[in-house]
Amino acid sequence: MTELLSTLPGGLVSGAVYALLAMGLVLIYKATRVPNFAYGAMATFIAFFHYQLVSGKEFGFSLDVLFVHLDIHKYVQLPFWGAVPVSLVFAALLGLLIERFIIRPFAKAPTVTLILVTLALGLGLNALAQQWFGANDLIVSNEHAIFPRTPAFSIGGVNTSWERLGVIALIIVLAAAIYAFFRFTATGLAIRASATDRDVASLLGVSTRQLSVVSWVAGSMVAGVAGIALASLLVSSNPSILFLLSIKGFAAAIVGGLVSFPIAVLAGFAIGIIEELVRHYIVHADTKLFTGAPEVVTLGGVIVMLALRPKWIFRGIRDDEDSGVTAGAGAPTFVLARLIDPVEAYRLFRAAVPTGVTTARLGRLVRTIVLVGLAITAVTFPLLPLPRFWTLPVNLTLIYLLVMLSFVVVVGWLGQISLAQGAFVAVGGAGAAITANTFGLPFPFPILGGVLLSIPISVLVGLPALRLRGLHLAVATLAFGLAAERAIVPRFDASTYVRPPQWLQGDSAKYYVFLVLTALAFVFAWRISRTRVGRSFYAIRDSETVAAAYGIRPVRVKLTGFVVSGAIAALAGTMITYQLGGVSSNYASVTFSIFWLGNAVVAGLLTTAGPIIGALLFGLLPELTKGSVSASSISFVPQIIGAVLLIVIVAVNPSGLASMSRFVRSRVTAHAGDRSIEAEPPTPVDAEPVETRPELVGVGGD
Amino acid sequence: MTEPILRIRDVRLAFGGVRALDGATFDVPVGEIVGIIGPNGAGKTTLFDCISGFRRPDTGSITLSVPGRRPVELTAHAAYERTALGVGRTFQNARLFKSMPIREVLRTVQHDGMARSGFLRSVFGIGGSRQDEADVAARADEVLELVGLAAHGDKPAQELSTGMLRLCELAAVVAVRPKLLLLDEPSSGIAQRETEALGPLLQRLRDYLDATVLLIEHDMPLIMSVSTSMVAMAAGAVITTGTPSEVRDHPAVLTSYLGAKA
Repeated sequence: MTELLSTLPGGLVSGAVYALLAMGLVLIYKATRVPNFAYGAMATFIAFFHYQLVSGKEFGFSLDVLFVHLDIHKYVQLPFWGAVPVSLVFAALLGLLIERFIIRPFAKAPTVTLILVTLALGLGLNALAQQWFGANDLIVSNEHAIFPRTPAFSIGGVNTSWERLGVIALIIVLAAAIYAFFRFTATGLAIRASATDRDVASLLGVSTRQLSVVSWVAGSMVAGVAGIALASLLVSSNPSILFLLSIKGFAAAIVGGLVSFPIAVLAGFAIGIIEELVRHYIVHADTKLFTGAPEVVTLGGVIVMLALRPKWIFRGIRDDEDSGVTAGAGAPTFVLARLIDPVEAYRLFRAAVPTGVTTARLGRLVRTIVLVGLAITAVTFPLLPLPRFWTLPVNLTLIYLLVMLSFVVVVGWLGQISLAQGAFVAVGGAGAAITANTFGLPFPFPILGGVLLSIPISVLVGLPALRLRGLHLAVATLAFGLAAERAIVPRFDASTYVRPPQWLQGDSAKYYVFLVLTALAFVFAWRISRTRVGRSFYAIRDSETVAAAYGIRPVRVKLTGFVVSGAIAALAGTMITYQLGGVSSNYASVTFSIFWLGNAVVAGLLTTAGPIIGALLFGLLPELTKGSVSASSISFVPQIIGAVLLIVIVAVNPSGLASMSRFVRSRVTAHAGDRSIEAEPPTPVDAEPVETRPELVGVGGD
Repeated sequence: MTEPILRIRDVRLAFGGVRALDGATFDVPVGEIVGIIGPNGAGKTTLFDCISGFRRPDTGSITLSVPGRRPVELTAHAAYERTALGVGRTFQNARLFKSMPIREVLRTVQHDGMARSGFLRSVFGIGGSRQDEADVAARADEVLELVGLAAHGDKPAQELSTGMLRLCELAAVVAVRPKLLLLDEPSSGIAQRETEALGPLLQRLRDYLDATVLLIEHDMPLIMSVSTSMVAMAAGAVITTGTPSEVRDHPAVLTSYLGAKA
């Protein structure tokens, strides 16, 4: 009994933090219907800011543009509680800025767009925090802790500290404050009204814009408190740890349907306590075997709960009829792939310049030349007189290419928003390690083993996906990704060491093997996109109902897509294992998944050309610059630029980026005067209201 | 008298307290164009949803007997299985795969559950799948020609006007060669001029498919001109069946439309 009780304080305190994060998420979601995946990053950012203030920081600003030379530096240090108001004001400002410049332009965007935008925001904030405050871990020393770390008292041998008690008390106070806000203030009531029915509320004079501002500012301040408390409890933390914890806050919030405070708070505590129990009774029994077990149990529970679709989770959440990937989120056409593609460039040129020259094949020719050129460069690469450090970046680039390709298959083609492809990289690595070390099979088999292992796991992940869409699918895959990362990566890291055969130890041998594997996967995906298999994916993406009406089985097609994309990512995982000796959380984490999903969207999520361009621009280029500078001055500028680019590209046309090429073309034709390319002017397509179908039976049944 | 292609018996479906279908019963004879009329909320689209599998009736049976094939109880099959059984439908709001060019849409719908060439054969282009792809492309072009959209094959579906989208949807449902064609208000949302052209087109498509057509339509001149027989529904049940003019002049039909004794 004492043993059981001794786990309680730890479980309660982490549960309290999850509950607090969940409350902030619910606050924002209730008022604005924005699932804020950047919440953890906001909390981190404010926590970093706060502890910099507390421990003293040189806040500097220098500008050197043409004739302007600005150089302002000031050393600031505040006591903990003196810094709190400053940090809260900072949090409020952050919330205000985010709401105004990032969220408001997407007020009417589909859920998938909002997911992508907030994910990008999160990545950007994390990178910004590291750029600004340094890439080192945030360490909260004893004198800077939120409450004294001295032991408070012990009941029956269960020790607790003032810090833990204080944080729990703080969270109870905050929860009460939020409850009172919703219960007794006009704004709180308005948010509740708006959460029930946004249109009716706005007809009755509730300003949704005002609510959005209020909820983001308040939500950001809650995030700040959560971040500050969390960083103090953790003693040593970094953005990615805090981000991962915020996923658990998200998991707790989604159990309450993202709208219910009581359920979210209870779920937060439940996750914290169950994790602590699992850690105490299972992980301690065999640390090596059961690492990651707490996450597997709690997040697995959340996934199962989502898949069971209890009414309270889905009440008040609109399931988009289509996946929203082409209708708003995927930025499928206005993407680098399209801008750089000679055929598209040629089309735009034709539309713009009234020329009689029929050079219709020119674009195709240029495209072929570019592809052949790339292929020749790729094949002859190791023969080129380049410095040695090129090989690792180039091999990694092939791995990035595969990861993006797997996103193209599952998100771009199948329309299922998966944030777990990094987990399949880990699965592939684990499969390779098991085949090589446990079964002792020689070279080609570990590759095969990794890919084969991914198939049942893809089906396992695909099963909840059959019943989930949009937001819920994103959260379910995120939870899976985090659980898999925690459970797999530590057991199959570089210390497991998969030994390549003698002939494969050289860099160029590895490169050629990887190149062949990548090319095979690439051709495989390309063939899919050109055949009825690919068309069935697109059909499911555009509308499951219509697909079923034409005899396409949603269940089979979705599982096929998940298996194909999982296998591609797993192939990348086996390659990483041969490159680095094992998987590394740098190449399998949730953050890695999100980062490369973002890059895939920017590069082009609908074509096989996208991953090539993305790998060259976001993989090879930064890797090379990283290789040439010293490790101490790692720059996070590429990540920041990437995040901004993603938001901008999704923002250009939030209501439907699929129409981006049309947008460009219509601009171009407007300039070209009376020379129209289309015989008929484009007519606006059905403005008629789409009939709602609350329940469809027999669509997914198998 | 040959077996009717569709036998609907006492189909009931309630949404909470609302009885959308309340014992609908009628037969659809082979080869006819049967028009269904009725005021809003009569249960016409719900009936289509039951026949095509998007809703499962609470009770009742829907039996499909395609000539030369064994009769099947449709309610026992999922929506995606009914295409192979010979049922094709269009939607009230002309729903298609929005992001694709329409020629691609027409290839996609000929999916056949990938029966003729499965996953690996398709991907590797072996075992007749190349021929299969060529057939699919050829048939897509053929149905495009049939509805007169051949010039617009490369346009994405979402750029089409509602009228063209209707035509494209008709082409799509024809491409899967159903034996029983369910058309849900093909004239809704399109211009009067296009509605007039719709009658002859529907007849042409019926002849091309040699299919039986079940048609929901609010445009009385259109439905009167194309239907060989009609069914009038109100409040989830059939109130009368017969020739178009019989049904139109039936007192109960007038009552249900006008809401009072005529």
